[in-house]
Amino acid sequence: MFYRLSGVHHANYVSDSRIFKVPADRNLTAFIFLIGLAAPFIIPSLYLNSYMLPWLIWTAAALGLNLVTGWAGQLHLGYAAVMAVGAYSSIHAARFGVPWEFALIIGGLTSSVIGSLFAFAALRVKGLYLALTTLAMQFVMDWVLTHSPAISGGSHASLQSPTLALLGQEITTDTGFYYVAFGWCVLVTIFMLNLKRTGLGRALVAVREKDFAAAILGVNSFYYKILAFATSSFIAGVSGALLVATFFFLAAPEQFSVAVSIQVLAMVIVGGLGSIIGSYFGVALILLVPGIVNGLVVTLSDGLGMQIDVETLAHIPNAVYGALIVIILLIEPLGLGKLYGNIRDYLMVWPFDQFKK
Amino acid sequence: MKKLTKALAVFSMVGGALFGTQALAEPFKIGICYDLSKAYTFATPQVSQAAMDLAKLINMKGGIGGEPVEVIVRDHGNEPQRGIECYSKLSREGVFVFDTLSTPVSLAILPRAMEDGRILMQSLVGRGDAVDGTVFDWVYPIGPTYWGQAANDVAYIKQLHDGDLSDVKVGFVYFDYPFGQEPIEILETLSEKEGFELELYPVPLPGSDQAGVWSKVRRDNPDHVIVWMLGGAHVVASKEMQRNRIPMDKYISVNWLNEVDIANIGKEAAKGIKRGTNVVGGQDIALYQEIMAELYDKGEGSGPIENTQDVFYNTGLAMYSIMFEAARKAAEAEGLPITPTSYKAGLESLEGFDANGLMAPITVTAEDHGGGGKTRIEMWDGETWVPQTDWISEYTDVVWDVVKESSSQYEQ
Repeated sequence: MFYRLSGVHHANYVSDSRIFKVPADRNLTAFIFLIGLAAPFIIPSLYLNSYMLPWLIWTAAALGLNLVTGWAGQLHLGYAAVMAVGAYSSIHAARFGVPWEFALIIGGLTSSVIGSLFAFAALRVKGLYLALTTLAMQFVMDWVLTHSPAISGGSHASLQSPTLALLGQEITTDTGFYYVAFGWCVLVTIFMLNLKRTGLGRALVAVREKDFAAAILGVNSFYYKILAFATSSFIAGVSGALLVATFFFLAAPEQFSVAVSIQVLAMVIVGGLGSIIGSYFGVALILLVPGIVNGLVVTLSDGLGMQIDVETLAHIPNAVYGALIVIILLIEPLGLGKLYGNIRDYLMVWPFDQFKK
Repeated sequence: MKKLTKALAVFSMVGGALFGTQALAEPFKIGICYDLSKAYTFATPQVSQAAMDLAKLINMKGGIGGEPVEVIVRDHGNEPQRGIECYSKLSREGVFVFDTLSTPVSLAILPRAMEDGRILMQSLVGRGDAVDGTVFDWVYPIGPTYWGQAANDVAYIKQLHDGDLSDVKVGFVYFDYPFGQEPIEILETLSEKEGFELELYPVPLPGSDQAGVWSKVRRDNPDHVIVWMLGGAHVVASKEMQRNRIPMDKYISVNWLNEVDIANIGKEAAKGIKRGTNVVGGQDIALYQEIMAELYDKGEGSGPIENTQDVFYNTGLAMYSIMFEAARKAAEAEGLPITPTSYKAGLESLEGFDANGLMAPITVTAEDHGGGGKTRIEMWDGETWVPQTDWISEYTDVVWDVVKESSSQYEQ
């Protein structure tokens, strides 16, 4: 009823390979897109600026990781390092006087090159070994950052980002920053939606499922793995650069540490490997829920007039948050994206599905 | 379209009800966005407890200018993103004085505070060049910078050697990341200036394996070892020193060495260990006694009493005495309500303030936001901390050269 299927026929390949096969999906996406566009006018600036904006940028980043981990099936534990490469090279380029449009692309390309260089070395191994090699990349990058003041910006290791300017327009307002993040996230989402229905996406999935089986089918698995690494690194680089340019305003090594790499991987896994909407949910859960739960717990204890000491107060949200992740993965091991998928599947045939039970 | 506008209207109504913003005109508040659950928990509980105790004490005495004060403690888990969220949220509730006690979070908030014109206190954390008030208008790292502290340590060593460092060897053992690397530049400059030999010993994080480092120290046999490490790493270091038979009195720690570390090393074993500090250690302090009498003896302390018997509690008292004193000055000079500008003026009118013998006297000016950066060296004698020097602040010209060089990069 909600996802009306009557009258939807796919009589040829073109129609069958549409992004949205069901009109309801398209309408829902358009509606969410409109809300996204209108967000600066309907959401108070605090929430726009400290929740929506990081959420969108991290979602773009998580989608990039999802490409290499969810689609191509390559475990990547050094994703934050790749973001750092992009962030630092864009900022250095921008400080050098390169216009931001090009600086962002330079950041993306540098990430892409360094990310795939590592992939060359890493792709001789698979699975857990690959995870460890990419983790090594993270540590190499951490070391480079903390030991080269020329890159990290002096003895405090903090590098100021110049004011973001796109298309000759200086961006300084919350609304402006939000639209930049929104635009980038939409761009990456469109790319990922299209990836699903192209030969490239199918080749990546083939490689994920069994790389030598893919080779037998004529898919050059090594080539596609490198391609996946390069593309995802590009997305990571630009996301990292935008994160600094629109949110942190300066880059510091802690923003791209190993803990962050693991967080992004958690976003992708909790959200659902290979799920686009899942990435949105996953990022929301991993990035925003700790802060929100913290706020709720504080309000609750204030409201009830409880005398809880600050340390306990700080640890309760962590416990709640951990429990939340465990519960979600217990209910649906395939992640939040699949959880949404289940609801959608249920509504798709509602109310007729009821007869089965 | 009609449906959409309706949906938007409902949305904005819900949004407004949920996230309604509040009006101003409230008591003076300090936003304490601390890491109470991750990396900085070795100090944050004591410091925040000190802040809350001090606020209670001030309110018992009638507040500031007749108005109560308030400290708001929130956890940010040492994540820059949550720190920014804490800052944004509290600043919309009318808070304009913030402290983070975390370098990554302080760095993340700094550009915003500078932009919004809100006071960012960052004693002992964050970028040290922020003491340069001509560049960092709104940032106050009151207390010593790591550069100043290291320079004072060298001054102390110079005192020990009767003013001649030419045949002295100084080792520097440090965590191999920005926190530990910061003093290197100043030590190298001073080594050239004073002619002492400097040996660097990087310790990989988290500092649980230092076997190689200290056997190298034994071979090089420096006369003093300046140590830039935290928490458990001190305990590991002391074990390795005993194993290598290096006397404990060579050890001069950064201010991050507390009673918990001493207890873990062992009170006897730690005899002779030294630390640089900007606050008086121990409990023999007027303010501390007052808090005990007024709060803890009546069961109204803000946390366990054990937390108060720790040098970081004294550090917290020092930090927040400064903040409240500045508020008092602001209220005296320009009346209530205190604004960011009047508060800034209040901070910059602090002169020789030592919170009744609690800490090194500080004098904040529009140029020097660090308050002078005085420290002293204390030695653990098995029972208590014995001061080895007066409050000193040496080589200020060298320190300020480094500060200026670094802060000029920020402006670019």
